[in-house]
Amino acid sequence: MGYKLGQYIPGSSLVHRLDPRVKIAAVMLVSITVLRADAFIVVAVTILLAGITFIARLSLAHLLRAVRPLVIFFALIFLVHLFFTPGAPSPLPLATYEGLYRGVLLTWRFVFLILSAAILTMTTLPSELISGLERCLRPLRPLGIPSHDVAVMVSIVLRFVPTLLQELDQIKEAQMARGADFKAGNLLARMKRVSSLVIPLIRNSILRAEEVAMGMEGRGYHRGPRTYMRELRMTPSDYIILALLVILTGLGVYRW
Amino acid sequence: MIKVENLVHRYDGDDVPVLRGINLEIKEGEYVAIIGPIGCGKTTLIKHLNALLIPTEGNVWVDGMNTRDTSLAGEIRRRVGMVFQNPDNQIVGMTVEEDVAFGPENLRLPPGEIRRRVTEALEAVGMGSYAQRHPHTLSGGEKRLVTLADILAMNPRYIALDEPTSSLDPAGREMVLTLLRGLNKQGIAMIHVTHNMDEITGADRIIVMEDGRIVLSGTPGEVFSGV
Repeated sequence: MGYKLGQYIPGSSLVHRLDPRVKIAAVMLVSITVLRADAFIVVAVTILLAGITFIARLSLAHLLRAVRPLVIFFALIFLVHLFFTPGAPSPLPLATYEGLYRGVLLTWRFVFLILSAAILTMTTLPSELISGLERCLRPLRPLGIPSHDVAVMVSIVLRFVPTLLQELDQIKEAQMARGADFKAGNLLARMKRVSSLVIPLIRNSILRAEEVAMGMEGRGYHRGPRTYMRELRMTPSDYIILALLVILTGLGVYRW
Repeated sequence: MIKVENLVHRYDGDDVPVLRGINLEIKEGEYVAIIGPIGCGKTTLIKHLNALLIPTEGNVWVDGMNTRDTSLAGEIRRRVGMVFQNPDNQIVGMTVEEDVAFGPENLRLPPGEIRRRVTEALEAVGMGSYAQRHPHTLSGGEKRLVTLADILAMNPRYIALDEPTSSLDPAGREMVLTLLRGLNKQGIAMIHVTHNMDEITGADRIIVMEDGRIVLSGTPGEVFSGV
């Protein structure tokens, strides 16, 4: 199994050790800041991002891998703004200097959103991320959001993704052994053949879900409060960084 | 002690009951093997032992607690651990240690106690060095050991196992059987469902099921001379 988008990269840097709640808050705060950012904020936030990347000992290659799947999307945003923004004409037909400026600014904002989320998942164990999420959702419990159940749901999804991928491979191999060819034919023919993979997979998943549920129940699972092996404790450095982030966001928003 | 009295079980929508009047007692620390052909009701029977199923007729008591009383289900499930046939569907954690922690977390134990139990349970099955591994990177035998650790972390008095060695290679099978015998010596009662005769010669008692009934019950000597 190869490297996956935003996959956790083990480390012991300050960024890795931060409380997951602080990191989740950081991504949210910074996303708010760039929402209406001008060039000054974009530059400031870029420097911040570069600093975090350096502290977390992530390489540029890690970051590039995180944005690569979205390159076409970014290109589209950039081109739309480049060509459809009114302003002083440039040497390139239809394009304007204002368009170039806006294009770079807006594209970079989107790249930034993706990168900050990627840094979060690259420096936080999935289980810590889920604990953090659960605690962030706790205040919403009076509104009927069952934070404990959400946490269990998310972790089970993450747990079974590799299992389902393995199962998909098995179904595919079993059908290829009986002569199925998933590469031949036009798009429509290939899509039809994919349904012969998806239907057994869904059927197996439903049967599996029933067994998993029974196994969980057998181990005393019930809806509602549970305790956690992993304790989250805010350290002084967590509070300091959170405070800094809030101040920076405040300054950023003040400039709007 | 687990006491099963005139247990009849009919699944919703079926006319024919799967269990037709089972009477059974399992003492603390006993090693009971249940054998019988596929479809004879073995799995259904053990699901009754920790209140995953409720009798259609009759009663099941675990240490004096009736499984019909839903308020007792939590305590019954803590005392009677259940190991299912397919370990893949029993592992719910993203890492081995988180999976073992799942049960104690449901019991709402304090974090330190959960950590202690997880470490102990993984040591007991010899998987201490696998704590951080992802379940899908484990072999079939290793997954089976994790599911045993899952149950041990709940400090059970009884463990019901549904064909725990199916899909294991001979080495994995021997490892699991040795472990089960060792745990039994420490005082945990085993209720071991199988259709593999050679696995159960060491049991205290063998129960032979057929068509929803117990047709034979006794020590291995008695049962095998009867066959």
